[in-house]
Amino acid sequence: MSLPILPTGIVGSYAMPGWLERLKTDYFARRISRHDLDEIYDTSVKAAIKDQEIAGIDIVTDGESRRDNNVDYFLERFPGVQLDRSSKKFYYDFYDSVVQGKLPMASLGLVSDFSFLRTFTERATKFCITGPHCLAKRIRNKFYTSEEALAMDLARVMNLELKALAKAGAKFLQIDEPYYSGFPEDVNWAVKSLNTLVDGVDSKIAVHICYGNRYGKPSWEGSYRYLFPAILDAKVQQLTLEFARRGGEDLDLFKEFNPPFELGVGVIDVKTHELETADMVAEHIRRALEVMPAERLYILTDCGCVHLPRDVAFAKMKAMVDGTKIVRKELGK
Amino acid sequence: MILKLNHLQGKAAATTAPDVIETIYSLMEEGHIEKDQFARLQIELDWIQYKQNFREVVIATQGYNSQGHRAPMMDMHVDTRQVSPDCLRADLLRALAHAKPGPQPQDRLPLEDFQSMRSSIVWEFNKLYWNRLKDWETMSGRGYEQALPGGQSDGHQPQAIADSVGDFWTLLRDMESKNQLPQEVFLVEIGVGTGTRMGLWLDKFRQLDQQRDTKYYPKLKVLLGDYSLATLDMSRPAVRDHADLCSFLVLDAINPLKSLSFLRYKVMLVHSTNVYDNLPDEEVVRRDGRLYFVQVRAYLPVAEVARIASAFEIPGDRMRSQIDRLLEGHFEDFGSRERGVNFWQEIWKAVRLEERLVQLEDLPEFPFPEGLDAGKLEDMLQQAPADFRFHLSSGALESLVRTLPLLHPRGYLQVQDIFVTDINQYRLGFFGPGKLEGSLLNWVNGALLKEVAERAGYDVHFAPFHYRKGSRTSILYTTRRE
Repeated sequence: MSLPILPTGIVGSYAMPGWLERLKTDYFARRISRHDLDEIYDTSVKAAIKDQEIAGIDIVTDGESRRDNNVDYFLERFPGVQLDRSSKKFYYDFYDSVVQGKLPMASLGLVSDFSFLRTFTERATKFCITGPHCLAKRIRNKFYTSEEALAMDLARVMNLELKALAKAGAKFLQIDEPYYSGFPEDVNWAVKSLNTLVDGVDSKIAVHICYGNRYGKPSWEGSYRYLFPAILDAKVQQLTLEFARRGGEDLDLFKEFNPPFELGVGVIDVKTHELETADMVAEHIRRALEVMPAERLYILTDCGCVHLPRDVAFAKMKAMVDGTKIVRKELGK
Repeated sequence: MILKLNHLQGKAAATTAPDVIETIYSLMEEGHIEKDQFARLQIELDWIQYKQNFREVVIATQGYNSQGHRAPMMDMHVDTRQVSPDCLRADLLRALAHAKPGPQPQDRLPLEDFQSMRSSIVWEFNKLYWNRLKDWETMSGRGYEQALPGGQSDGHQPQAIADSVGDFWTLLRDMESKNQLPQEVFLVEIGVGTGTRMGLWLDKFRQLDQQRDTKYYPKLKVLLGDYSLATLDMSRPAVRDHADLCSFLVLDAINPLKSLSFLRYKVMLVHSTNVYDNLPDEEVVRRDGRLYFVQVRAYLPVAEVARIASAFEIPGDRMRSQIDRLLEGHFEDFGSRERGVNFWQEIWKAVRLEERLVQLEDLPEFPFPEGLDAGKLEDMLQQAPADFRFHLSSGALESLVRTLPLLHPRGYLQVQDIFVTDINQYRLGFFGPGKLEGSLLNWVNGALLKEVAERAGYDVHFAPFHYRKGSRTSILYTTRRE
């Protein structure tokens, strides 16, 4: 499947409709069955795919409607991670989770969700997985000697899953590591666990690093400078970073360090409902082109759209696509 | 009929109960209360209000359905501190007469139509007070802080300020240790009062910074915001030693984001004292599984109109238009500024609110304040008493949800005010509105604020203000919710 120059996409999640939030809560309150909830998820995923296609997105995700948050969706599947099922007040709260013994190797069952995505779109797809650093930060560790050791073992188990996804046809996987920016002191070992995670996986791998998007607001502030030079050792093909909200200053790091990666450049601020125009998007892209050739540039949202209303998320995607078209035209492509 | 007894006046209130029951039965037998109405009547005894308030000794609140037709439900409230056995029957009859639809007794001069409390004319009086504070204070001979229950604002308590400074310094220290300290550290004070608190806070912070040689003080950028330019001007002297750090701006406490959007996610500390209790509010009643919104109508008792008209030589039929002139600040219309302010104070003293309950049949369609919707309210009400009356705290709620986006990821909000921290507290007494000098006062539904903040990513905590014995204020503070 060939992609145009400057391929567009979203970083994982699409808008979470209010009605779906209510239904998730209804499920937790035992007012609807798991079967009904799964049907609702299927319908919601199809709608998210369709919206992306209509907006003109080149690389489509499943919108992540099935996920309560970026952590529990994975931890629920891990044998060896114990969850306190009574610890959530809202569906998007994190479960209290604990590891008290060595994690066994096991399938996490993500392939069926990827296959569902694959079934309902003919476009290129991307499937997103929360990385071992982030997951390790959310688990109470009562067994491993360090967070690093826990992350390495999480990566070892998840590596099997990534290989299964690749085997099922996932050509493009994105690893989400939103906690790097909050714990810059971890970056060296976090990159090691990332490399364990993707070792031998026959897919294109992006790593998404942002400043957090919990409740639609940043969790940290600062500069991406902390990533360098450690990130240069990451065995991934693409870095996807947020620039729309924070400004393009950190783009110069790509000039300074000349990393071997493609760049997924965030051109849509997902923490405001204010709409970008196509011209604003084009300007962001032109700025990124100063440090990265068009052939290695992907055009993305800053982070997931989960906290945006659906109409806003759609309009933002459309602006992203239209802005990209402006630059493609300027490039004669 | 259900008779609700509070515990506020205790035994003193109990002596009123037999009189009330006997009188109500008589009124039913005489046909003043219909039988189906009696069956649903709820009378609250010991309905103790603020000393200065908007209500008669006995009030009756008639229920209406959403089409405006009278519903059988009715609430009556009896202020046992003020009621006297001799007048009870007359007070009950007067309250019932006003609650009935159709022609009303001609003993009230309405100042508006029935409407939501938050849009009532009483807020125009409140606005006038803050804009013309100096005039009021000159006439009354005391500053507004002296009118507070403790005679001064709890916001100035030195140890409370020292602790606040210490907490903030510790936060900056921690951020510096992680290389996360921004070049500019923004602080916002919403509702500046006399400026005294911020002046004292900055004195203390500078002192601590110098003692520990941390050089944080020059990084501070302090924004003092208030919707009254007069108040802002009055606050300047209190912070003159820190003039280089301070900026003043007119700001609506209900929407700080509007004036400060350039500081989105940048502010380390937003603070306010006694602001939320003075923001437009409305009340909701849950009765027999249904929700009713309290609509109010401001009025002046005709006897008061006559007294004031005579004292100020205003023809009675011009009273309403003179009040409009007053609210526009034309004090000189009354002969002199002093006389105008005097007129204002007399009118304010006389203003009352009557109310009715309008059933809300279609909850999702109700124009909720920003941050709240039918789903959230329903969730909150699941844990709430079946029959109770509570504040929606619309102004405070909107202020909160439009302040949180200003906070830096490590920033926090501190609000010192009078909070109902548990929804069940609403069963225990009366929480406003009251009058405080020329302004309004309502307790704030902290339990509701907490619910809404949680969904916006913040845990809300309430710490009782332990720095002054007998203080009824608490400090709301936020922590980031993971």
